[in-house]
Amino acid sequence: MIDQRKSGEPGPEEDDFALADRVLKGERRAFEALVRRHERRVFRVTLAVLGNFEDAEEAMQDAFVKAYRNLGQFRRESRFTTWLTRIAINEALQKRESRKNYVSLDESRETEREFIPRRTETWRADPEKLYGKQELRQIVETAIHGLPAIYREAFVLRDVEEMSAEEAAEAIGITVGALKSRLLRARLMMRETLAASLEERPTFGKKILHTAEGIGISVALRVMRAVRG
Amino acid sequence: MKMMDCRDVLANLSCYVDGDGSTELRNALEGHMAHCRPCRVVFDTTEKTLRIVLDVEPFGVPLSVSARLYTKLEKLLAEESPVS
Repeated sequence: MIDQRKSGEPGPEEDDFALADRVLKGERRAFEALVRRHERRVFRVTLAVLGNFEDAEEAMQDAFVKAYRNLGQFRRESRFTTWLTRIAINEALQKRESRKNYVSLDESRETEREFIPRRTETWRADPEKLYGKQELRQIVETAIHGLPAIYREAFVLRDVEEMSAEEAAEAIGITVGALKSRLLRARLMMRETLAASLEERPTFGKKILHTAEGIGISVALRVMRAVRG
Repeated sequence: MKMMDCRDVLANLSCYVDGDGSTELRNALEGHMAHCRPCRVVFDTTEKTLRIVLDVEPFGVPLSVSARLYTKLEKLLAEESPVS
């Protein structure tokens, strides 16, 4: 059977190492296949660090240029995607640090104070039927975008790109403990934002009962008695 | 394991949704949530949040952004080989 793949097109089972080998052996077009495979991840992580499309695009371009030029230094001790993601994050972090006051302002928001969930109603079933995938994606993107950068980058690496906590921590240059604490906060903030669109509207009686769970049943009984008159 | 309050339970949310942590810890969390509705809701809806985020595949690369990337790389590939 004739191979009808275009030059540089990977076979279905051809892995990143094999593609990198082809590039290093002089088949430069094979790099395009690597880019196609990873551009979405690289764009997501640069966007997560920088928070705006223009800077993310620039950092993505710089990351792929650097990856191409340094491909010979890729030692295969990690997955190609981890190596590339680290380059992308470094490019984005450098860009962020070059912005006056950006990091200090953002990181000052990191606090030891716990994040207390406020919305504790159950959610409506079938969110995709409720909104449709497009609208739901918009809700998710807005929520991710609204996270402060240090939480956004932890969330995107771990819960969108599904990197391990160790990989994500190493890529950002923080300890695993710090990554986990940022991630917990990011997850709770995301849940809180999505809850605004997805939770059930409680009845008045339910509202009182649920408030009661927070302040103690005896007080609640008094409130209910008072409401009934 | 000592009885957990809501604060302890919340601190272990990631262990629970990631499926990490000992059986003892999971049992303690389940034990708390069996009688604490707000914690149960927070755990369930955090799991839902993570599932929805993966399902909707957020932040695709806009076509124009992708096109500019390939134009730039086209030029690079034509002019340079990677340093090996």
